[in-house]
Amino acid sequence: METYINSQACISHYNTIDEDFFFEETSVIPSSNFLFVTAPVYKDYIPANTIRRTSHILKMGISSGLMCLKNEGAEQTDAIIVGTAMGCFEDTDKFLRSINDNDERMLTPTSFIQSTHNTVAGQIALLVKCHGYNFTYVHQNLSFEYALLDALMLLKEGEAKNILVGGVDELIPPLCELFERAGHIKKTENLQEPIWASTSKGYVAGEGATFFYLSSTSTANSLAKIKGVRTIQKLKSSEELLEQCYLFLKEINLKKEDINLVLSGINGDSEKDEHLKEFNSKIALPIAYFKHLCGEYFTSSSFALWFAAKMIKKQQIPVWALPNTEAPKKLQHILIFNQYEDQQYSLICVSQC
Amino acid sequence: MSTRVHITGMGIISAIGDSVEENFLSLSQCKTGIAKINHLKTNHKNEFVCGEVKHSNEELNTIAGTKNYNRTTILGLIAAKEALHSAGIKAIKEGRTGFISSTTVAGMCHTELIYKDFFDNKTNENFIDSHFSGVSTNEIAAHLGITEYVTTISTACSSAANAVMLGARLIKNNILDRVIVGGVDALSKFTLNGFNTLMILDTEWCKPFDENRKGLNLGEGAAYLVLESEEQVKKFNKKSMALLSGYGNANDAYHQTASSPEGHGAFLAMQKALKVAEFPPESIDYINAHGTGTPNNDSSEGIAMQTIFENKVPKFSSTKAYTGHTLAAAAAIEAVISILSMQNNMIFPCLNRSEQMKDLSITPISELQKNVDLKNVMSNSFGFGGNCSTLIFSKN
Repeated sequence: METYINSQACISHYNTIDEDFFFEETSVIPSSNFLFVTAPVYKDYIPANTIRRTSHILKMGISSGLMCLKNEGAEQTDAIIVGTAMGCFEDTDKFLRSINDNDERMLTPTSFIQSTHNTVAGQIALLVKCHGYNFTYVHQNLSFEYALLDALMLLKEGEAKNILVGGVDELIPPLCELFERAGHIKKTENLQEPIWASTSKGYVAGEGATFFYLSSTSTANSLAKIKGVRTIQKLKSSEELLEQCYLFLKEINLKKEDINLVLSGINGDSEKDEHLKEFNSKIALPIAYFKHLCGEYFTSSSFALWFAAKMIKKQQIPVWALPNTEAPKKLQHILIFNQYEDQQYSLICVSQC
Repeated sequence: MSTRVHITGMGIISAIGDSVEENFLSLSQCKTGIAKINHLKTNHKNEFVCGEVKHSNEELNTIAGTKNYNRTTILGLIAAKEALHSAGIKAIKEGRTGFISSTTVAGMCHTELIYKDFFDNKTNENFIDSHFSGVSTNEIAAHLGITEYVTTISTACSSAANAVMLGARLIKNNILDRVIVGGVDALSKFTLNGFNTLMILDTEWCKPFDENRKGLNLGEGAAYLVLESEEQVKKFNKKSMALLSGYGNANDAYHQTASSPEGHGAFLAMQKALKVAEFPPESIDYINAHGTGTPNNDSSEGIAMQTIFENKVPKFSSTKAYTGHTLAAAAAIEAVISILSMQNNMIFPCLNRSEQMKDLSITPISELQKNVDLKNVMSNSFGFGGNCSTLIFSKN
């Protein structure tokens, strides 16, 4: 059985909500160490009476989810599965501060109500009246991958014909401060090299909301199909990455030679990228990058999947993503190899329909 | 897809005990663990009662033989270790083994203590490595040596039911041979104040399915089940405690926090679980209800039960008045209680009841029942975001 991406929608740093935009005018070097999203007109998606109380992640998540359904011309979905590592942190932060500032007295419920991790999935269900399967994965940088694995299994089980699946994480001021003070963010003065040639520590942080409408049957608009997903816990060497990669390819009945492009999750942290960089040189395939476009965030694999599917559909790789290599003549299979902090890795294979 | 899913082990820590045995003892004596707040640092200490685990963090770390874990991780670890031990698992690698945990607020119990200082006074201790949801799951998995399939689910108060459901599906799809599934939540100021703003906390002991119920009591704890495939059980000659025969997940799609008056999501979850189990409704002998003790939940759930069972509703009760509402752990804790009910032919009654609910025609079990043959037990769990899940356990 195949799994088709019949539609997709992506809110990210660049104007990816514009169907025709494909990184024509971008830059190899991020303009800032925090890449915030280019927002759509939220009132087109969020009910006017609630928009003022709707947090950043909910606005992004709901809009992206509804946009994805709209792109397909679908009003319904059989299931909704969301991956989010940090959930609704803006509301969590708001409620925590009000607890502290008011000594646990005279608090209002809105931010608490909207702070639960499943709010994006719940709100989309509410808006499109979807009574079907509804799940939220919150497993750090593998949150989206586990959502995707569940979606593939659900389609295989025949429990759903169409599934809305997405990855969402927000970047808000307290999180920027947290990441910065925990030493994760690249210093501004080091923003001079492309991520693939970086010699400094830290990464450029990002955020985004990306949704896919998956189905076991294709349509004329299908962008690509998902061949497989694999999550990998802690690894110790680039040899292990190669080993896992070959195991994965075997599992999905492909050979290394079938892969036209690797979309690599290098984020520009010279220390944490080491294993993946070694892998990239050993695998000897054309390598493209994406984290200078969306920034590093826990569910950035969802951006990578959107990007890969779009490249396959258009049979085109933006020059800003493919340094030092000639573009492959054909894009039939793209392998996404993502990682966060050299801790957890994931492989997703996206193929032409 | 035809393999049966066995439960071969379980572990629990809650307000009524640190182990399955202790929990059973309290349940069979109708003894509640809900009392005055002792460990949680809150200004509401004398205002509300809670189902706290009766140990400080230091004591819990000593019980588990660990150092410096936050309350969430340590509660989870204690229950998960007991589950593995009771399943007689010594070598993790003797089968494809997964770990699926659930939580609603993860490391909040610690984050809330340092949050203000971190931002206002720029203190060094940050919460990046302890707060986010996957952290405790990974710490517990690392302790148990599980690497194959490790993930975290958060669907509010239905979370652990979804962890159990996912585990069963992974076994049926031949992705795993066995999987440890459940959930954990530690009490926090964050949740206590949150539920307080919603005005759904009872200041006294909660009264599930009573006409004069005022709200829920929060609790904390963790519970895990070991699920194994039929093949794995046969191969290693394992003792099966029960079968997980059905599961269902649906969304009420009515309101972010409130349940629909007719309990549509609850109805769908129960209907799906019966369908997966291939059971007619009359085969259910007992329902361990979600029964939080809030006016909204008990009415909505009761009406949904009356609808699906067409007024031949099986015996039912809620055990929230023993443990408190343990949020993401609730469905796992109640799974353990459901299995204890089956194993011991007992129904643990609703506590603190005195008056029949006017909008229901059904009455819960309010006295301890012994020597009742329970072949199939249903357990409900519902949460914010409209998430509704139902599990069905069966005698093997």
